[in-house]
Amino acid sequence: MMINFDNAATTFPKPESVKRAVDEAMEKYGGNAGRGGHALAAATSAAVYSARETAAGFFGAEPENTVFAMNCTHALNMAIQGVMSEGGHMIISGLEHNSAARPAAKLAAEGRITLSIAQVYPDDDATVESFRSLIRSDTKAIVCTLASNVTGQITPYRRIGELCREHGICFIADGAQACGLLDIKLPDGINILCTAGHKGLYGITGTGLLVTDGKFPIMPIMQGGTGTDSMSLRQPQLTPESLESGTVGVIGIMSMKAGIEFVKSKGTKRIFAHEKRICRRFISELSSDRRITVYRDPAARYVPIVSFNIGEMDSGEAASRLAEKGYCLRAGYQCSALAHTQLGTASGTVRFSPSVFSREEDAIKLALTIKKL
Amino acid sequence: MNKCILEMPSYTYAQKAAKLLRSRDISAEVRRRSTGCGYTLHIRADCRKAAGILDKYGIPYILGESVAPR
Repeated sequence: MMINFDNAATTFPKPESVKRAVDEAMEKYGGNAGRGGHALAAATSAAVYSARETAAGFFGAEPENTVFAMNCTHALNMAIQGVMSEGGHMIISGLEHNSAARPAAKLAAEGRITLSIAQVYPDDDATVESFRSLIRSDTKAIVCTLASNVTGQITPYRRIGELCREHGICFIADGAQACGLLDIKLPDGINILCTAGHKGLYGITGTGLLVTDGKFPIMPIMQGGTGTDSMSLRQPQLTPESLESGTVGVIGIMSMKAGIEFVKSKGTKRIFAHEKRICRRFISELSSDRRITVYRDPAARYVPIVSFNIGEMDSGEAASRLAEKGYCLRAGYQCSALAHTQLGTASGTVRFSPSVFSREEDAIKLALTIKKL
Repeated sequence: MNKCILEMPSYTYAQKAAKLLRSRDISAEVRRRSTGCGYTLHIRADCRKAAGILDKYGIPYILGESVAPR
């Protein structure tokens, strides 16, 4: 028996349509997209463009502003380093994953930017005020996750987007835990959305997206072949090719297209409701055990992620013991130093995260198992 | 001009332009450039009209070789 409740790391299993898309890509799209004019390259290029259109449409963007990445970390690095290439002040939230916090901290440590961290509170007004109070005349960008990968807390991203718009600041959003669960669109006030393709979008691992409204230039962090203007040694300026040096991952891209179509067919609201119901039942089952701390605040809103601890038990030990019984959960710091510092969770937490394929009865059995640890 | 070739800055823009023009009943075909890298759009229609549509949608292109109607 193996039951996966670590879907915030990567969703598994994948939809049948995604498996078929991978097979089809292996069979038909063996060319190099955007390179060459022969039939195989043309078919592959057209397929990748169709995936670009699908992703763009899903997030309210244009195909030429939709960039394929290796993962959300890659997309966030492109966005953060690309927007801040000429320096300035940047604000990140206190819930950022290391995928955003580390590139920001590196730029700050090198003296290339100045960095502030805005605390996130259960109360949205306090969170927005926290960001507002840090804005300076040289603030160029705010980076904020749409939902914490530790607790699942949803940030007031529309209001942060509005704040950015008022001050002419670029809003870079980390959608890794929100996309596929919330109906996220660039017109919500997001200038650059970075997300994984392999989590709530149900593509295979090694996929990600950077979607921009094109209002803030993103200097490429990598240079190389783009299939265009090849006799020039200067990197092309136009997205998406300017940010897609080298051969793109066609199979992953086609899996992500199928994943997005799967999410569209189910509907984000339905998926969210299903997973929320499982989380609610899971929390309810755990509530009878006084040893268990669930890191949620009634004033906040959450995507379907539940972080908890069992008394003084180390989170890693708890997850290991659950793994022995066939349950896959993530323990430790979930690559989120800032969030755990804010939570005050010295040994991290155990994280429960269902997917569209998870079953309520499995969550109940897991809760019963946890209570016996 | 009833036949012309537009040089496109990328495959993405070439596909976007082709789809846009086709949706307006203008024949447009994406082809690899005959020399060097890059993509072109082969149009068999009123090229001024096609160019006007691309201008309206902010799609970059360079008007390349125009071919007189046979």
